[in-house]
Amino acid sequence: MKGALLRLLLLVVVLAAIGRAQTWRVDTGTSVTLAAGALLLCGLFAGKVAKGLGLPRLTGYLLVGVAVGPYALGFIPGAGVKGLELVKGLAVSLIALVAGTELQLGLIRRVGTRVAALCTAVCGVTFLAIFGVLFALKPLLPFLTPMTVSQALAVSALVSTVVVSFSPTVTIAIVQETSARGSFTEFLMALVIIGDLLVMVGFAVAAGFTRASFGGGLDVGGLLGGVVWELFGSVLVGSVLALVMLLYMRRVKHELPLFLVALGFVSAEAGAHLHLSPLLVSLAAGALIANLDEREGERIHHAIQRAGLPVFALFFAAAGAGLKLDALVTVGPAALLLVALRALAIYGSCRRFAPPEDPRLRRYLWMGLISQAGVTFGLAALISRTFPDFGPQVEVLIVAMITAHELIGPVLTRRALQRSGEIHSDEAQGTA
Amino acid sequence: MQALFVFLSIAALSLLASSRTVLDPGRFPAFAQLAASGLLFLACGAVLGPGSLGVLSSGDLTALRPVLALGVGVAGVIIGLNLEPRLLRLLPREVYAAALAHAGTAFLWVALPLAGPLLFTMNLAPEAAVGAAALLGAAASLSSGHFAVLGYRSGRMERRRGLSVALLTMLDDVVGLGVLALALVFGAAAHPLEGLGLVALALLLGMACGGLLSFLMHGLNDQGELMAVLLGGVALVSGAAAYLRVSALLAGVACGATLALVGGRSVERAARVLGRFERPSYLLLVFLVGAHVQARDMMAWALLPGFLGLRFLGKVLGGSFAQRIAGGTLALPPRLGYALIAQGGLALCLVVEYLSLVPGPLSQRVFDVVVAGAVFNELLGSRAFRYVLEPAAVSTRGGGP
Repeated sequence: MKGALLRLLLLVVVLAAIGRAQTWRVDTGTSVTLAAGALLLCGLFAGKVAKGLGLPRLTGYLLVGVAVGPYALGFIPGAGVKGLELVKGLAVSLIALVAGTELQLGLIRRVGTRVAALCTAVCGVTFLAIFGVLFALKPLLPFLTPMTVSQALAVSALVSTVVVSFSPTVTIAIVQETSARGSFTEFLMALVIIGDLLVMVGFAVAAGFTRASFGGGLDVGGLLGGVVWELFGSVLVGSVLALVMLLYMRRVKHELPLFLVALGFVSAEAGAHLHLSPLLVSLAAGALIANLDEREGERIHHAIQRAGLPVFALFFAAAGAGLKLDALVTVGPAALLLVALRALAIYGSCRRFAPPEDPRLRRYLWMGLISQAGVTFGLAALISRTFPDFGPQVEVLIVAMITAHELIGPVLTRRALQRSGEIHSDEAQGTA
Repeated sequence: MQALFVFLSIAALSLLASSRTVLDPGRFPAFAQLAASGLLFLACGAVLGPGSLGVLSSGDLTALRPVLALGVGVAGVIIGLNLEPRLLRLLPREVYAAALAHAGTAFLWVALPLAGPLLFTMNLAPEAAVGAAALLGAAASLSSGHFAVLGYRSGRMERRRGLSVALLTMLDDVVGLGVLALALVFGAAAHPLEGLGLVALALLLGMACGGLLSFLMHGLNDQGELMAVLLGGVALVSGAAAYLRVSALLAGVACGATLALVGGRSVERAARVLGRFERPSYLLLVFLVGAHVQARDMMAWALLPGFLGLRFLGKVLGGSFAQRIAGGTLALPPRLGYALIAQGGLALCLVVEYLSLVPGPLSQRVFDVVVAGAVFNELLGSRAFRYVLEPAAVSTRGGGP
């Protein structure tokens, strides 16, 4: 661990020197590649340091991103971090593609119904708890205070839907990092993925009601159409991508990494422009490939898994660098209250509704559901864009919550997997 | 959304360039040749770029600059890694003289005659025109040894001869890089001293990153970690160069050379890992290079035949000089100049660096001429190389039982 720490410190010094050189070179160029390289290297060694301290690597990636990013030491320019959005989209696509290849029909048959039932219960309880508290805090929260009761109800519902969301990317990354395998891991992964689907549907409905309460009129057809398009359109586009991928892998066979990266970009870009869920597009593609041709599914799984370390390190370090620390100062108390309440609601509903045949689910599953990342960020940004009157303030509150969840979530997810006894790599012993 | 087109085009091209039907030289020889060398990606980029169909706008190219910087950085580090100090020290003086003779002849043969047209058609300061002509000469001096390598690997050329040709083409890279540095000293800043400072900064940055990379790689046994460190290191050096607006190519070469010098045992592993990314990053790079071409510049088209013809003559003449100088030391084939016609990817890197660091109509014209020239030279190089092989084939037949 000492060696990794030394290397990390040296990297930070080099970054500081590059930042210093920039002060006399006024006419600077693009900073995106610099941000990518610096975050990848810093993330990698911070991950090793975190592992040495018994924490998930992912926490190291996030923390070092926060430290060298524009909101703390400022060694990496904000424009560089912002320019990595495309890389983030690619990482989410690749992560979801790998996760999709693990969604075998047999698994869905085995745990599908129980997962869906528990997910509905957890999301429902958490939604109601957050919704109640937000509405009760109407006189104290600046963005709710000037609203009418119906408007405050709609906005509280909208914010609560986003707050409920989980983080499939964090869960998948921790599962990959720890090589966890088993029924508990399967249940957790299936739950966070289905949870996100529920959140997407809930968000579309809540956004429709919010628009109506602000005088936009309630367009039920448009509302339903939007939800159906986001869910089924994503699966449809994902299926087309899967067929293209299978065709390529069977007929061409060359330049597979380049082709996968290109397809990842296509999935991320097409998802964003066609109002689809990039996560669901790639997930559907991966799942279809795995179920149509197991051998090709394995090939994709291994190809992406081999490249997993740089993708995860860069993705999460960039996510850390993008966390606005100043948001914590302004809306900190409200955000912390909501974080605690959300955790309590998830804990209580898991204890109460988790299937009784596996006691591990009742005891440890809640820990794996605390993380929040990409999907929550995306929905918060969508609120900000769609409702410019109050959206930016809501975004600040949610980003403050994500910051807290990013820091504690990965640690809890890893602990959940560890306590369930399904970690099979050396991570279980916490070796450095 | 245009980024989507880029990656869709690349995916489609990968499909096309890997198709056995397309790669069959018997059916479409020119197409197969361009597909095998990757220059099909360049042609496609040129067609889709803002200078032709306009599927990609200038704004898209600005947004894709980080990818371009990364591609140039990867190329630089790989070139630097290949400059093995031990091997370079072992080479006799005649080899250097031969490399300088063939590269220098092509350089002078192209740069001197073309300086005039550039000076009179652009109405610019004489030093700017001389710098641009020097860069045209530098691009002309570069050759690709891939036909020689393919020749000895397929058994069509004696191994020693193939290696000798490849060695000469590797050494002329140094000439090209030297001229690029010189052109940047005079063109990349308002004052040559400032330009010199920027070139020195690029080299220092590269050396610092090379040393850092060597330290970071030390003791790493995991393949995934090694790959992440190398990718991060290459992105760091090219990104820092792009951020400070200095040459990513020179910084990359300095980084690779430093790593080769101080990296010890990890150098070989680094070269192996980077080798896996060489082709994908090269294909992306040439696609983006192609997208920067302004096909509507008539003066560039007018200069192109001159560039091609003069380079051909320069290579033939330079080849015969090199043969005379090092014929006793290296196993050089007769008609060596014909083996040096194909132009490597470094020529594209040189002009794209010049274009991004010295923007303006002059660098755009130089860029257009060299990029179009690279495609023609690739097609010409294939035929010319056959001409080099012919005597060997005759002697083999003659010497058979």
